[in-house]
Amino acid sequence: MLKTTIQEQDGNVVAILEGNLDTAASVEAEKVMSPLCDVEGKDIIIDCTDLEYISSAGLRIFLTILQSAQEKDGHVYIKNINDNVRAIFAITGFSNIFEFV
Amino acid sequence: MAKSVKLDAHGEALLRQYRELRPTLEQLEKKAYNQLRQALHEQGIYVTGIEHRLKTEKSLTGKLELKGAKYKSIDDVTDLVGLRVITFYTDEVDKVAAIAKRIFDIDWQESVDKRKLHELHAFGYNSLHYICRLRSGGPRFELQMRTALQHVWSTIEHDTGYKGDVKIPRDYVRQFSRLAGMMELMDDEFSRLRLVLTDYRRQILSMVQNGRLDEVPLSRASFRSFLDLQPFDRLNTRIAAVNQAEIYPVSMMSYLPVLESFGLETLGDVQAFIDENSDDAYQLALSQLAITDLDILSSNTALQYLCLVYVLKHDGGRDGLKSLYDKINGENESNGMLADLMMEQAKTLPFMHKKKN
Repeated sequence: MLKTTIQEQDGNVVAILEGNLDTAASVEAEKVMSPLCDVEGKDIIIDCTDLEYISSAGLRIFLTILQSAQEKDGHVYIKNINDNVRAIFAITGFSNIFEFV
Repeated sequence: MAKSVKLDAHGEALLRQYRELRPTLEQLEKKAYNQLRQALHEQGIYVTGIEHRLKTEKSLTGKLELKGAKYKSIDDVTDLVGLRVITFYTDEVDKVAAIAKRIFDIDWQESVDKRKLHELHAFGYNSLHYICRLRSGGPRFELQMRTALQHVWSTIEHDTGYKGDVKIPRDYVRQFSRLAGMMELMDDEFSRLRLVLTDYRRQILSMVQNGRLDEVPLSRASFRSFLDLQPFDRLNTRIAAVNQAEIYPVSMMSYLPVLESFGLETLGDVQAFIDENSDDAYQLALSQLAITDLDILSSNTALQYLCLVYVLKHDGGRDGLKSLYDKINGENESNGMLADLMMEQAKTLPFMHKKKN
């Protein structure tokens, strides 16, 4: 199960993810997070404080958001990622692509 | 208090013509800018800026007050619309000029290459000015082309009032001339240096393509050329096959400082580093990925595992791995956790035991 909340905070767009971003949850997550690809002139923060797990499908969603932000000179920050999720970014070679805060 | 300007009847008539023409001039400004921007983009010419402006009524009034009599009609004022292209290098001014000749009609009687106007014994620092007309017709406009240094010079010259109404003492004129000469020399030297570097890059590329890797020092330019040969593809493909993963392309340039920190000095050293560590890097990646269903990997996965293996084989241990992750990811508390995880995964692999023997 994954709960996704998108809100504006201090001029940034913040996506709060809670639960597991596994393959089953990714279809709905992709739909809910798709407005992040349209963000312009603001930074995107993906708050992973309560994200327990990320699958390949989840990584693809993150990469799509990053790519569209970079095309508009925007930044995507991944906030408070836990060790398990961090390890997934590392073993797939994506840990130096994102900005972790 | 604003200086009041009195125009004679002729000047007032020209000003009225300007007001009537203004909507046309606004259109002209947009069209000329867009045509020029598009043409520069298509020719792959990157410039520091393209400025464009429509002369304000206040500015025109000032001009007409000074020299209104020389204009028969407003059409004779050729800089009502002005564009300015600021290039990086001197030779690019000529390239921009060639493009302008291709897309606009140039009024050669009015155009002037101020770069060639200086007396032989004097220094000066000016730009190339063309008076143009759109191919579709309409009023003329001015196109100035200059380098960034020429632009700096012109801006400072304007700011100091060097060409203003106060006569500047000879000593100060001489100081200006010395600076202008120096900047002209700098422009030429930057252009020359660029040619030298372009030539060097071509030589490096040629040596890389001919496999003379031992002769090529490791640098940003040479590593970039080396990456064109896709030296990590074979290992990436092998690792990706573990989970039938997609390889997502990312830049590998961030690994250059890591390779340099390993003491690799030539592309030959990098090739040897790949050849000597590929099998062990595959084993390490396999140990991590086989227990997951992760089917997307970045294109720097192979390089990352090669670096991890290199550190472990050279007795870097946990601290070496953390230091490596600090270089790859930037310093971060979780790099210690990643180092611990990697040590745990690697400890059963054959290369960890071979190195002890």
